[in-house]
Amino acid sequence: MASSFKFIDHTADVAVDLEADSLEELFSSAVEAFKISITDIECIEISDSIEIEITGASKEELLVDFLNEINFYVTTKKWLCCGIESIKVFNDENEWELSAEVNGIKLNSEKDLKQEIKSVTYHQMEIIAKNNMYSTRVVFDI
Amino acid sequence: MNISGIELLKVRENLWEIPASGKMKVPGRIYISQEMIEKGFKDSEALKQVANVAQLPGIEKYSLAMPDIHWGYGFPIGGVAATNLNEGVVSPGGVGYDINCGVRLATTNLEYNSVKKRTGKLVEKLFKAVPTGVGASGAIKRLSTGELKKVLSKGSAWALENDLGTSEDVSFTEESGTLRNADSNSVSKRAYERGADQVGTLGSGNHFLEVDVVEEIFNAEAAEIFGMFLGQVVIQIHTGSRGLGYQVCDDYLKILLQVSSKYGFNLPDRQLACAPIKSQEGQDYLSAMQAAANFAWNNRQVIMHLTKKVFKDTFNQSDSELGFNLVYDVCHNIAKIEKHKINGGEKEVCVHRKGATRAFPSGSKLIPEKYRSVGQPVLIPGDMGRNSYVAVGTEKAMEETFGSSCHGAGRNLSRKKAMKNAKGRNLIEELKQKGIVIQAKGYRTIAEEMPDAYKDVLDVVNVMHTEGITKKVAKLRPVGVIKG
Repeated sequence: MASSFKFIDHTADVAVDLEADSLEELFSSAVEAFKISITDIECIEISDSIEIEITGASKEELLVDFLNEINFYVTTKKWLCCGIESIKVFNDENEWELSAEVNGIKLNSEKDLKQEIKSVTYHQMEIIAKNNMYSTRVVFDI
Repeated sequence: MNISGIELLKVRENLWEIPASGKMKVPGRIYISQEMIEKGFKDSEALKQVANVAQLPGIEKYSLAMPDIHWGYGFPIGGVAATNLNEGVVSPGGVGYDINCGVRLATTNLEYNSVKKRTGKLVEKLFKAVPTGVGASGAIKRLSTGELKKVLSKGSAWALENDLGTSEDVSFTEESGTLRNADSNSVSKRAYERGADQVGTLGSGNHFLEVDVVEEIFNAEAAEIFGMFLGQVVIQIHTGSRGLGYQVCDDYLKILLQVSSKYGFNLPDRQLACAPIKSQEGQDYLSAMQAAANFAWNNRQVIMHLTKKVFKDTFNQSDSELGFNLVYDVCHNIAKIEKHKINGGEKEVCVHRKGATRAFPSGSKLIPEKYRSVGQPVLIPGDMGRNSYVAVGTEKAMEETFGSSCHGAGRNLSRKKAMKNAKGRNLIEELKQKGIVIQAKGYRTIAEEMPDAYKDVLDVVNVMHTEGITKKVAKLRPVGVIKG
C-alpha cells in the first residue's frame, strides 16, 4: 500500500496531485492533503469518528462528495479529520459507492484553522488508472 | 496573436476574438490590451474556458471576458455569457461558489486630513466589530432556521426590519437588495447550517473591509451625484454569501451534473454542469441562487451597519453629522434574467456574470432615480496596497457586454508564490510606509493577498474606460484595511 501527494502552483487556489496504488489509498491521501491545506495542528489523540456513506455516478463525484462531506464537518461542527479508520470504494453496476469511517478531533478554536475551503471542485479532476496506480488532481476553491 | 496555442484575432485595440470552431456556438471575445498581453498574460486555461462557455446551449452573441480574466471553475473569472430563455441553460459555473459576492461603497462627511491620526484606532475597532477569517461567526446572534428563511426571502429588507439599516441603504442596493423569486425552500438544510451564524461576517481570502480616501475625481458631475468629494473618507465592503452560498453551489452542481445527460448535454467540463432555464432543475437552482444572493446583500448590509456604529463611536458623531451614506452595492457573481438588444430585437436572457459587474447606463429604469442622469456606479476594488476605482455604466456596455464590466484586479501570483515573495519582508511595515494601516486574523492572509500578488487594477479599468464600456468617476486610496 503506497500513496503520495504534491501541492502544485495554482494562481487563485490550492491544487494537489495525488497518486496511490488503490482507490482507497488515493481517497485517503486526498483527506490528508485536505487536512494539511486547512491546518498546521497535529492530531495527538483521536476523540471520535464519523461514518460517511456516499453514492455517485463516477469515481470523481465520489471523491468530490467525500471531501465536501468532511469539509462540512469542519465548517459547521468544528471537527477536524485526522485519518481514515476504514474505507471501501466499490462499483455496483452503474453506481459508485463509498463507505468510510474517518477519525477526528474537536477543534478548540477557529484559530486552529489557517484556511477556509469554500468547496472541493471538479476542476481538472480525472481519476486515471495506469500500471496498477491511480492518480488525479484535486483543486480546492479557497 | 497566439497565446499558448490559442489563436486570438484582433477586433479593435482592446478587443480580441476566438473564432467559433468545433462545438463553439458563438465566438469568444476578450477585452484586454496589447500591453496587458505583453506584460505577461498567458492564461491559456482561461482562454480555453472562454471557448468552453461558447458551447453552452442557447448562448447568444459571444462568450465574453473582461480584462481581469483569469482561470476559474467552468467559466473564467471575468466571464460574461447570456443564454436565451427558450433553449438556453443556467449554469452554477457561471455564477461561482460565492453567490452574490460583491462590493458596497459608503461615503462619510469626514475629511481624511482631520481624522488621519485616528486611523489606527478606527481600524482596531472595526477589526473587533466585524468578524473576519476562517469560519468567522457571531457578528449578531445565531439565527434560527425560521429567521434565516426570512433573510433568504427578504435580503437587505431583513436588516431594515431589524434596525440594522436604513431605507436609503436598501434603495441604493442593486435590485434594492432583494431578488423576488428567491425560494428559501430550494435551499438545503446543510446550507442553512453553514449560514446560521455567519450573517454580518467577512470571511477570509480576498474579502475585505477597507477605509479609503477619495484621491482623484475624473467626472465631477457623477462624483457630486454620488456624494463624493476630494479628500473624503469612504468605506468599501467586499464579501458574499459565505458558507450558505458555497453549499448552494455544491448542492446544485451535483443535481445538474446528474441531469446534464438527461438533457443530452455533452459538456467539456463538469464545472459547466447546467440545466435548461425552463426545466424544474434550472428553476430550482435559480430560486436557490437568488435566496443565497439575498443572504449576501443582507450580509453586506449588516456589516455596513456594524461599521457605521464603530465610526459613530470613534468620532463621537450623530448619524447626520457622520453622513454614512451608501453610494451603491453591486454583485459580481450572479445570473440574472434581463432584457437585452439582440440581433435588432429585444430579448429576455439569463446573463451570467462570474467576476463581472453589472454596468447599466444613464436612463436605465433599473438603477436608482438619483443616478439616472449619469449611469449606475460600478465599483472596482484594487488590491490592499493600491487604488480602487468608481466608474459608471454606459450605453456601449448594453450594446456589447450585456451591460457588464470588470470587477477587480485579478491575481497574478499563486498564493504559494506570494508567500515566497513575502519571506524576509515586513509587509505590515511596507504598507505603513504607504500610509495604510492593516489588521488581519493572520499574517498569512496579508502575505497571500499582498499587492505584488495582483495585477495592476488600473490596466483593467483603463481597458474598460478606453473602450467606453464604463467611464471612470473617481479613484480611491486605501488607508485602513481589515482582512480575514
